[in-house]
Amino acid sequence: MALAGVISNPLREGLSADRVPVPCSLVIYGASGDLTARKLVPALYNLYKKHLLPASFSLIGISRSKISDDEFKQKLKEMLKKAEPELTDALWDSFSQNFHYLAGGYDEPVAYRNLSNLLDQMDKDNGTSGNRVFYLSTPPNVFEPIISNLGAAGLNKEGKGYSRVVIEKPFGHDLDSAKELNRKVQEVFKEHQIYRIDHYLGKETVQNLLVMRFANSIFEPIWNRENVDHVQITAAEELGVGSRAGYYESSGVLRDMFQNHLFQVMCMVAMEPPVAFDANAIRDEKLKILQSIRPFHPESIAQFAVRGQYGPGYLAGQKVPGYREEKEVNPQSITPTYAALKVFLDTWRWHGVPFFLRSAKRLPKRSTEVAIQFKEPPNLLFKKNIGGLSPNLLVIRIQPDEGMTLRFETKVPGMTTEARTVNMDFRYGTSFAEDAPEAYERLLLDCMLGDATLFIRGDEAEAAWQALMPVLTHWETTQPEQSFPNYEAGTWGPVEADKLLEKPWRKWRRL
Amino acid sequence: MTLSAQAIEHDLTELWKETKPAKEGEPGLQRVYTTNLVAYAEDHDTGYRVERVLMDLTQFQPGRYILIRPALDTGEAPVRYYVSGHCPFWAEQHRVCCDIIKLVAQTDSIENLYGFTFSLLVPDLPVELWWPGDLPLKNKFFAKMAEASNRVWVDSSKFKNPEQSIARLAFLWKQRFPKTLLADMNWVRVQRWRALIAELFDGPWSKYLAQIRQVTLEYGEGSHPLRGFLLALWMADRMGWKYKGSPLASVPEKIDFDGPSGPVEVQLKAVPVQDAKRDRIFAIGLMTRGEHPALFSVVRDADPHVVVARAEVEGGECFSRAVTFEHLHSNQVLAEGLKNLGADEVWERVLKLAGEVLEKPIL
Repeated sequence: MALAGVISNPLREGLSADRVPVPCSLVIYGASGDLTARKLVPALYNLYKKHLLPASFSLIGISRSKISDDEFKQKLKEMLKKAEPELTDALWDSFSQNFHYLAGGYDEPVAYRNLSNLLDQMDKDNGTSGNRVFYLSTPPNVFEPIISNLGAAGLNKEGKGYSRVVIEKPFGHDLDSAKELNRKVQEVFKEHQIYRIDHYLGKETVQNLLVMRFANSIFEPIWNRENVDHVQITAAEELGVGSRAGYYESSGVLRDMFQNHLFQVMCMVAMEPPVAFDANAIRDEKLKILQSIRPFHPESIAQFAVRGQYGPGYLAGQKVPGYREEKEVNPQSITPTYAALKVFLDTWRWHGVPFFLRSAKRLPKRSTEVAIQFKEPPNLLFKKNIGGLSPNLLVIRIQPDEGMTLRFETKVPGMTTEARTVNMDFRYGTSFAEDAPEAYERLLLDCMLGDATLFIRGDEAEAAWQALMPVLTHWETTQPEQSFPNYEAGTWGPVEADKLLEKPWRKWRRL
Repeated sequence: MTLSAQAIEHDLTELWKETKPAKEGEPGLQRVYTTNLVAYAEDHDTGYRVERVLMDLTQFQPGRYILIRPALDTGEAPVRYYVSGHCPFWAEQHRVCCDIIKLVAQTDSIENLYGFTFSLLVPDLPVELWWPGDLPLKNKFFAKMAEASNRVWVDSSKFKNPEQSIARLAFLWKQRFPKTLLADMNWVRVQRWRALIAELFDGPWSKYLAQIRQVTLEYGEGSHPLRGFLLALWMADRMGWKYKGSPLASVPEKIDFDGPSGPVEVQLKAVPVQDAKRDRIFAIGLMTRGEHPALFSVVRDADPHVVVARAEVEGGECFSRAVTFEHLHSNQVLAEGLKNLGADEVWERVLKLAGEVLEKPIL
């Protein structure tokens, strides 16, 4: 499918960088923030190095800080230099030649007029052809004023060029606010102009879930309720709440990780093959999965969801405080830092197969993975074994140590027929010595190319909130079943989570 | 030392056993093979150089590397082998390792080693044959190995008579080796220049591309203009320029093409540069003529590690971009080329075009 935003250039044929965006301006709101310097500008520089940034490209940073163009550029340069020691003045000057900064309040119409004038100037001087991407890297409470002011200034209009808006997470605080935000954004921008970011989808290994499932014929026949016992999706973090306590206190682990990242990964694992590899075909299938989540009922939530909060403990031998002792955290907080959900998908393919999702802070290690545990053979011929037969398991590691492991049984050498479990391993880092692009690199490029495949559609965001709301509401209006804190930092979470698994052969994976 | 595939595999197994971590919990080694690469060196010096390249290549692509080179001393055994393990990088907690098998043979044995080489290949992985020297005419090893390989790598910058050899490849390859892909390291080196030239025409001034009437390619004095010639043929292929002159015995200073909207002149100019080996291409200029003059250029900067691409339209600069352009070593070129397993259709068309432009070779 041709994308609006991909350059057509006969000299590009056969080059590795054959998908290059048409000229455009990128406007970053919240430009003085951490994300711009730490993620967005390094991602743009990498695109520049790979000849993937448009030939005519302007970056306009906007925030409230009253700094000059030069101060803005200097700050970005210093941050970039840390990640790219080979960056010379000549390279920086060339890369940043069309970087500008505008100071202004997000609700001041004059700031939008100034922006409009500067964009017009860029089109004239720099050939950016009326193509604009507005990247909202601000706190969510200013999404709405920015969007309505962009509309009032006519910057949402498409005609001469395209106009797109990228919205960082969180997309809403609950179902009602997500619907309201969708309504406000869609009043100004059409759905094809809206790019709701979930940086997990920019990760190579998450994308590989689709390649693995749909570019190989060996997985599809066993990818169903006949063969799969259960699926575990884990996003474990070693870090505590750190400097994000202000945000985290009002969000908790469900909003921070489940509504977006874990549900999206689950969709990639569970979705039906799309009819085409394009944005809407894939998002249609993901939406069906989100809509198929069996609703959680308040009276039975404890059977399907376990919450936890870390207390003081040790990580790598160092004492770390409990969540309630962290700065800016309410000492009586009931904000969960651990959650485990048992999710059933009411689809033909997955009926009766539980998806166990868990995510937490202050677990022993950082690890994100999908584990598909298969059913045992119907008739166990080999009774003698070492340590018992283990069901086959396919593990897809998303981070770190990206790759896949298949666990299976094999005969131990010798005169008896003993079986032992072995692993067959594939590691990205060993098979491909080159580094995978950063998630933001891929997502920024796709947005400029007009490819929304790795972005979340409005109905997906709402369906994810819809599924999660009963648990969120219940947890926010009731005291925890076990008083918090209920797990020690540096351990694998509350023991209550084991009860979710129901069957004796099911165990949470020790990662 | 008995020569057999089993003996070599046994030695390799022993080698890896010895290097297993002494204690549990220490980082493990992982043997990884993503490809087979066989290199054949026709003389000792080349053999030494190729061995260094293979060792460096393991950093980019873990594989089964096999080097065949002649013995230095005629008193040595007909064929000797050496195995070495290489663990050049880490993937999380594992050291990624692979191996190099070196076969050193007397000249009367070396060309017959193809069967033995087959037995050393890791099954089900692509087989790449790298021929680092001049194009072989009657080498039996080359003929047999090329037939059994997925792809053969030559380096046209090493050809003694580049025009004749390129023409030969253009005329003969598909006939002799219809199932084997041909790749040229010199062409991989050209890729960065192609990317920069292409980038010049991504902007709104791309309309000038069809109006290009003059192309100037500057190369280091004392080096062969083949790389520039390949670039010119690439432009011709992409732009639909047709060569109308008589077949060329050597790369001339000026080549005339007929473009869809008028004649196009390509000049290949030798210019003095500090290091001709580094600067085989020094600068490229693409000019339009007529009412709307435009100049597109890619030039090495005063800083030899930087190249500046610039577009000037109707007297004003509309695009400028500086990028790093480090010298590419053979291992980097091969690593880049090995990333793609499929046919390079653009290269195949350029080679075909070379066959049309150059004099028919003596077969």
